[in-house]
Parts: sequence; C-alpha cells; structure tokens
Amino acid sequence: MTLRKHLLAPVFALAAAVSLSAIAAAADTPVQGGTLVYLEQQAHTNLYPPAGGFYPNGGILNQITDKLTYQNPQTLEIEPWLAQSWEVNADATQYTFKLRPGVTFSDGSPLDAAAVAKNFDIFGLGDKTLKYPVSEVVNNYDRSEVIDPLTVKFYFKKPSPGFLQGTAVIGSGLVSLKTLALPFDQLGDATKIIGSGPFVVASETLGKELTLKARPDYNWGPAKFEHQGRAYLDGIKYIVTGEDSVRIGALLAGQADFIRQVQAYDEPQVEGQGFKIYAPSTRGVNNSIVFRPDNQLVADVRVRKALSLATNRKEIVSTLFSKNYPVATSVIASTAIGYKDHSADLGFDLDKARQLLDEAGYVAGPDGTRAKDGKKLVLTAYESLPQPQNRATLQLIAQQWAKVGVKLNVLAGDAGSRTVDDLDPQKTSVSPAMVGRADPDVIKSQFYPKNRDALRQKGGGSDKIQSFVDDKLNGILEEIASQPDKQKRLQAVADAQAYLLEQAYAIPIFEEPQAFAGAPYVKGIAFEAVGRPSFYNVWLAK
Amino acid sequence: MTRYILSRIGQALLVLWAAFTLSFLLLQAMPGDAVLIKFLNPDYGLSPEQIQAIREAYAVDGTLLTQYLKTLANFLKGDFGYSIQAGVPVSAQLAVNLPPTLMLAALGFAAAVGLAVLIAALSSLAPFAWLRNLVQSIPSLFVSVPVFWLGIMLIQIFSFRLKLVSVINPGPWESLVLPVATLSVPIAAPLAQILIRSIDEIRTRPFIAVAVAKGATQRRILWRHVAGNAILPALTIAGVLFGELIAGAVVTETVFGLNGIGVLTEKAVGNQDLSVLQAVVVISAAAFVTINLLVDLLYPILDPRLRTPSGATA
Amino acid sequence: MTTLETSAGLLPARTAAKEPARRTFRLSHISFGLVLAWLILGTALLWAIAPGLFTIYNPIEGVPGGQLKPPSALHLLGTDSLGRDLFARIVHGAVHSLSGAVAAVTVGLVVGTGLGLFAGAIGGRIDAVIMRFVDVLLSVPTLLLSLSIIILLGFGTLNAAIAVGATAIAGFARLMRSEVVRVRRADYVEAAFGSGGTFWNVLRRHILPNSLTSVIAYTAVQFGWAILQLSTLGFLGYGAPPPTPEWGLLIAEGRNYLATAWWLTAAPGFVVVAVVLSANRISQSIGRGR
Repeated sequence: MTLRKHLLAPVFALAAAVSLSAIAAAADTPVQGGTLVYLEQQAHTNLYPPAGGFYPNGGILNQITDKLTYQNPQTLEIEPWLAQSWEVNADATQYTFKLRPGVTFSDGSPLDAAAVAKNFDIFGLGDKTLKYPVSEVVNNYDRSEVIDPLTVKFYFKKPSPGFLQGTAVIGSGLVSLKTLALPFDQLGDATKIIGSGPFVVASETLGKELTLKARPDYNWGPAKFEHQGRAYLDGIKYIVTGEDSVRIGALLAGQADFIRQVQAYDEPQVEGQGFKIYAPSTRGVNNSIVFRPDNQLVADVRVRKALSLATNRKEIVSTLFSKNYPVATSVIASTAIGYKDHSADLGFDLDKARQLLDEAGYVAGPDGTRAKDGKKLVLTAYESLPQPQNRATLQLIAQQWAKVGVKLNVLAGDAGSRTVDDLDPQKTSVSPAMVGRADPDVIKSQFYPKNRDALRQKGGGSDKIQSFVDDKLNGILEEIASQPDKQKRLQAVADAQAYLLEQAYAIPIFEEPQAFAGAPYVKGIAFEAVGRPSFYNVWLAK
Repeated sequence: MTRYILSRIGQALLVLWAAFTLSFLLLQAMPGDAVLIKFLNPDYGLSPEQIQAIREAYAVDGTLLTQYLKTLANFLKGDFGYSIQAGVPVSAQLAVNLPPTLMLAALGFAAAVGLAVLIAALSSLAPFAWLRNLVQSIPSLFVSVPVFWLGIMLIQIFSFRLKLVSVINPGPWESLVLPVATLSVPIAAPLAQILIRSIDEIRTRPFIAVAVAKGATQRRILWRHVAGNAILPALTIAGVLFGELIAGAVVTETVFGLNGIGVLTEKAVGNQDLSVLQAVVVISAAAFVTINLLVDLLYPILDPRLRTPSGATA
Repeated sequence: MTTLETSAGLLPARTAAKEPARRTFRLSHISFGLVLAWLILGTALLWAIAPGLFTIYNPIEGVPGGQLKPPSALHLLGTDSLGRDLFARIVHGAVHSLSGAVAAVTVGLVVGTGLGLFAGAIGGRIDAVIMRFVDVLLSVPTLLLSLSIIILLGFGTLNAAIAVGATAIAGFARLMRSEVVRVRRADYVEAAFGSGGTFWNVLRRHILPNSLTSVIAYTAVQFGWAILQLSTLGFLGYGAPPPTPEWGLLIAEGRNYLATAWWLTAAPGFVVVAVVLSANRISQSIGRGR
C-alpha cells in the first residue's frame, strides 16, 4: 500500500461499485490467486506438531501439515484424509490405517507407512536424545508396525479409545523424517517444518513475519471436501501484531484481511462496518476458575461452593462479552462430546454463599473480609494473558466475591514469577484455566496430575504440594482415557463433570470461542473442530 | 595528551567490565528460570522429569565464580551463548535484530536534529512574539508525552483514520515513517533546547553587535555561530541521548511491532533469557562507553579552555 | 532523562550578562503559562489529597451494564469496560501516580546527590571510583535496569517507583558533583577554606546552599520524567497490579479500546502530558530564578 494507491483508492472504489452488480452473479465461484494478510497476536513458539495446542502454533501447522483423519467440525465424525480407511480392534489396543497413495512431503519424500510410523513413535513415546516430549493426545502408546508401504498398525499397552480422534487433531500433523531428525529446540524455525499440507513455508523473520506459499501439486485434501487440488490462495502472510488496537484498526482500514483475537467490545464496530466475526467454539473445558485445594483457604468444599455461588456468570458475560461467549452450564462446553447440562448446580445465590462461609467458620472481620482463626480469606490469582479479557474478568469476579466478604487479588506478574508461583498453591490459590479439544479426553488433559494438573495435586507437575490428591477424580479421569466402550466412556465423562462440580473444584464461567474477524471479501474460511483456521478453501472476492 | 587518552581508554574498559559484572550478578539473582518459563507451557505436555533433563542439558556447571569466569571468557572470545527461548545462538539473534534498530535509531536521530533545528529557527525567526514563545515551549511539550502513547496515537490518526501510511505490510520506507517520527520527538526536545539557548546566548555577545553594525545581516551571523556554540553542550548530553534512543527504541518497536534489539530485550526480560540480556547489556554499555570516550577526547580539541582535564566526564 | 542536563544542571555556562535581566521582576514573564502550570499541579495534588471532593463514583467497583459509555454529563469522561467512571479513576489515581513519582525521585535524589556530593567534595580517588560507578549505572539501558529491578523486587507501586528511582541516581549524582565542583572553585569558598573553615562547615554553609537551586530545578524535571517512566512500565506490563487506577495503567489498559472507545486512553494520556508539562515549566522557572 503506497501513498499513491491510497490517493487513488476512491477512484477504484467508484469503479468497483459500478461493476459490483456484474460480479455479483459470479460471487460464489472461487477465484484463484492473491495473498491473505493474517494478523496473529503472538509469535509461534515451537512447531513440533504436538505443540500445536498453542493457537499461534496451531494456526500455522494447520496449513502446512495434513493428518491421517479429518474430524468434521459440524458432526464431529472422523472422516478419511491421508488414511483411506482404518480398523480398530474391540478393546481399542490395535489400530490399522490404510494410507492414500501418491502423497509426498514438500521435500519430495513419500508420505508412506514408514513415515507415519516414525511420526507416531515419536508422538507416542517422545525422544530423550532429541528432547521430544510425548503428545498429549496419544495415550498408552506401545509401538508401530509397517505392514506394507501403505499400511501401518499401532499397538497400545492399554485401551486407547481416544486415539482415532487423536489422529485428526492439530497435534498429530505429519512431518517429514528430515524434520524429525532435528532436535526439539530447532523446531522453532518454521522453515525446517516440512509437511505435506496445501501450503509450504517460504520465508520467516523470527518473531515477526512468516510467508507461506501454496503447493501447486497438492492433491490430497480430506476426501469429503468439495474442493480438491491446490489451494485457491497463492500465499499467506502471517504478521505478528501484538497490539489489539493495531490489529483491529489495520483490518478496518483495509491493511489486513484476517485477524485473530478480536475482543468482544470490538465486535459491534467490526460488524457495523460490514466485516465478519468468526467465533468457532473450542469445544473443550470451559473458561473457568480452578482452585488449588492444597492451600488451606480453599481446602474446604463449602468455601469453594460458596465462591461458586457468589460468581454471577450472567453478569460477567453481559458486561464483558457477547453472544459468541455462551454462559457455561457445565465444566465442558455444550458443544463438547459427553456434555451434561449442570446449570442447576451452577446457580447464583449470595445468601446461600454467605451461609456456607459462615458454616465453614469464616466470619466477617472489621474490614469486611472474612477470616477464620486469624487467617483472612484472601485469595490470589495471576491473570492469564491468552484468555480473552482475563484481567477484566478477574477484576469483576473480585468485585462479586467481595460482596460475600472474600478478597481476590489479581496479579499481572512477569512470566518468570508467574510460572514459578503458579506451581505453588500457597501463592496462587485460584487460577484461570481453559483448554480446547474435541474429544472426551480433554477433561482428563485439564485435570489429570500427569497432564495439565489444573488443581495441582501431589505427584503432578509441582514439587510444592504438601498433601492434596484426589484419587476418586483421578480414577474417573483414567477411565475416560482408557475405557474402550463408547457408552461407558461417555458415562465416565458425565461422572467427571458431576464430581468436579460437586466438589466445586472448578467454577466454569463461559464457553470460550476463538474469535477472528475477516474482511467482507474473504470467502471460504473454515475451522477445524476446536477453532483453528484452515485457509485451504479460502479465496479473495476482490 | 597520550597519557590522558590512555587513561581514558583504561577507564572506559573498566566501566565496561563493571557493567558486565554488575549485570551478571543482577541476572543471576532473577527468580524464575528460562527453561521452566519456556517448557512448562502445558501445550508441550512435558513432565517435570523431562523439564529437569532439559535444564541439565543447558546448565552451566560450577560455582558462581567459575560460571562468571567462563561467561567472561566466552564474551571476550565473542561467544554470547545460547538463547533458551528462541533456541538459537544469541549472536544469530543479534545479527537479525541489531541492523533494524541501528537503522531506526540513526534515522530517528537524524529526524530529531532536523526537527530541533526547525524549532530553534522558528523560535527566533517567527514573526510574532507570542508565536516565538509558543514555539519555545514545544520542547517541553515533547518531553512530556509518553512515547508509547504518542506511537499509538500516530498510528490511529495517520494510518487508520487518515490512511496516509500503512503500518501492516508496508513498503521498506513506509514502515519507517511513523516509528521514526515517534522516536525523534523525545530526542529532538533537548537538542532544540540547546539550540534555542545557544541562540539566546550568541545574541548577547558583543561581536554580534559589531558585525551587525558593520552591516551584516543578523540572521547570517547568528546561524554561523549558533552551530559552533551549540556543539559542546550537545556533545555533553550525547551519552544521555543515546540512552534515550535505546529506551525509545524498546517502546517504539513494541508499539509498531518492529523487529529489533528493543523488542528482543523486552521479551528476554519477560522470559528471563539471561544470555540475551547479558549480551544486550554489554553491547549497549560498549556503545555508551565508546560515545563518552569520543566525547571526552573531542572536548579538549573543540574547547581550548578544557585542555587541562578536570577529570569530570560531565 | 532528557531535559535533565539541559534545562537545569549541565548548562551553568549561561552568560552572566543575561542573569540580571532575568532576575528583574516582569509581570508579563510570570506568564500565563507558569500560572497555569501551578494550577494544574495544584489540582492534581488536590485530587491526590481529597479525591472525594471531585467525584462521587467508586474508582474500583464498576456498575455492570454501564460499561463503555461515551463521555456524557453523567460520566464526564465515559466509563471503562467494567462500568467504572473514567474521571473517578483518574482522580483517585492521582495519589498512586504522584506518590509513585515522588518516591522514585526521592530515591534518585537521596542516593544520587549523596554520591555526587561526596564525590565532588572529597575528590581524588574516591571521586573517580564513585563517578565510574555512576558511569556503569548510566551505561546499562534504563528500561532494562528498571525491568530487572521490578522482577527482583516483585510487582507493585512502590517497587516500580524504586526501579525508576534507581535509574535516576546517575543523573542526580552527576549534576550534584558538577555543582559542588563549580562551587568549590568559587573564590568565596576558597576563602572560607582559607580562613580556617572545616570541611563539613564549608560544605554545609557554602557548597550545599549554592548547589541547591539547580538540584531543585532538576528534581522538578525528574518528577515529570518519573511519571512518564512509571506509565511506560505500565505499558510494558510491569506497572501497578489491577485494579489500581494508576495513570500509566489507565493509559496502558485503555489503549486496547482505541477502535471502540478512544477516550479511554486519550484522556489519561492528556492528564499525564499536562502534569508533566507543568512540572517541567515550573522547573524552568526555578532554574531561571537562580
């Protein structure tokens, strides 16, 4: 955009308006060409596919890698992609995939059974020498077996019912053997990630810019897609733009085509100017406040229950958010698999909250803050930077809890202190939390001590825990991860939701979408099941 | 004279070493650790044991003293270590980030000088007294504006509302217009003040009256002497201006999303990427020391009164 | 740190011929600007002392449902995302911002002038050591120094103030030393030493009072500078914790709403500019009165 073009812009606009009616008829036919300018809030960190859960990583991996299977974001059914068909044995310990022939990585090497086997060996077992961690979505992995060049079989030590869906997620993108020969550390460099996706990395300025270009010989999109062959776009330019106001301003001023992280308060502005908001659900564990019961202050279930009752979800959503952020009715989103409606357990009742706090022995002191045995009910939480308006949300919650005599301090520390303090329940008694994934495993990912360990249990990721451990919860979570029977597995998910709310370990607040905005001429945007954009079908009507 | 120069160089090296030592100690005292900050991100799904293994792979063994000596020796060899957050050698990061910052700083400084001359000229040449007074207060205004706020406002007004320049995906020169303007404001202010003062001072000198009596236009005389008179005080604050340029670059780069040492530093602080910070401190201290050394050496040449050094750098 | 050595300290080279003219009392020169500066600073001080006189709204607790309202008669500067009155937040924030700046300047003033005084008064090797230490302080980029100190001390208004104050030490030390050296060389000080005055007596009677004017002028400048630095720390995410209505934090948080509610960042920004500008203007008038 040079100065000159801007001066001429009105003339073009006029010409465009005149010919608009002529184009209208053809407006639904995709055209090839053009580069999409995409503004991302944060730079990617590491493009090892299992690290794709982090949205900036996933937004890139989703364009440059393909998966064995495709999860239809509407039906959540698993459909063929690079695997044309598959077989699973009765107890979900053996999976056999038949691969599509003729697929190659962008370095020319074949995407065959050997490559797939190597990928999942690393995702499932990690690699100590190259420092690869184990993927969160591959549970109980044992080994792989190459049966013929296009058939690969995976064996599991225990039932792993989530594995089929696990092959469809962002964390299971397949990369070339060349990429997997590099140490984990070096995968921060996008140019070293060689996938088989519709786009390839053309160039990168670390922490600032990334250019993808379409792969002309791409011909292996998900089988049920109407669009086959190469991508419509010639390329995508990712520009890291941390300032919210610059992203939104640049989009509205016509300097960018598509942006991630649009805050709810900017939505009317965006839609008012004819731009489009996309808010795909992340189908995972809702945006919540979780407790760290190892801290004595929140060890009593009555205190946790009281704080849940003192939290006015509707007020939070109506003040800070929009219709794209539904009020939470359970631990997981209503679009998630295995969801059960618990709105009856998630009421707002100040009187009952006060009564529970009284019962727990916390009485109001002279400054209005409750205390028991001289210990004041003062809780501390660090704001979570990736969550939408988390600072404002926590402040509003602090305001709501103050009404029942509980003080919540909101901290905005540096990354170092936050990381260290977050491991110590004495320093952070409550914490904001959310995670997205379209499989029942998601609830295990969030709460199981060996995964994200949201509640900070003994034996989990922190060595600061004195005693707290909940074996009943962990039992349910293990059941979710290893129960091969679909019905029983869903029952375990229901049990987990009921138990988490009965114990009031988490206060779900709203169902978090990923909010994007696009210019009116950007067509064909699609999202995978948990809200990462796919630009394969995108074309520019301008 | 040679002895003076040698002693000055010696002192400069001493300051550089002290800056290295001070920052080393300061950075060792930081509470978090970079490995934890990077790898505890749940998206990596690492277990505590795996994180410990990574930490051991990066760890420098030995006591604080041996670590210090090792780091110092490496720096002397030009090896700045390895950035944990980015996973690349620090020297590679510097190679990418130093040129844009130098470019920004150089252009910002040039623009500031231009702006300062313009303000100074207007302050003595503008037609009305009230206008001259107004112009004279511009430097004060310039130092009163938070740089980040100025940057954000300039983007909003010139890029998004008036649509004069692009900040996203701009041309190579277009990308520098607003950042340079932002950065030049706090630098122009002290320079303009020096120039204005210099003009004030020259005007009262007897030789001006003589020259004017001889028929020269006052304007021409003024400008010939102002520059010479202003150069000493300007040199005096060169070190300070340099610091201002660095601080301005951090903020400007953050606001405009530019690549550079400033953003690198800010991120390194957040992630406690100690090797990067150590290198940034040493580089900026080296630049600062060099500038001050040059100033000290130039001073006696430019100002004969100071041929016998008083020992003060200021 | 910019105006520092220009408006106050390091330009004692101003011609003597000019001084008497400045000293004569001219009403037109106690200009409108200076009066306005005192008025602005006075108002800010009143906000800090008695915020209740200026606004009835609670700066911490918002009214859900009343969020992001544009400026109106009811809410002079509109409301923020939690329905808090912005004007109330600015008024109540004065105490945090001003006391933060005062604390920062105090750190710089006490430590810096102390160092400068000893260096200049004692001279010799101690002078060299102290001033080289000051050089080291100056050679580390100020922001990096501030951020590191905050990480070491933890977040909070006071810690941010200390972090800013630490970066002001060098400037004060240099100024104080150059003033002391200048005064020491003056004839009457030489005479005081000559007539048998002890070191400390001469220091107290002659050196200190004579160096004070420029230090005060410099302090005023630094006060404004500290407000700016504190707000920059807020912008980078190292400022006071929420919901403190500190000015830097207001500007920093408000900037996210630029597309929808530009006044949220513009208004506190203008307040900061006005207060800092006033501090600088007052500093200049002190400097001239010398």
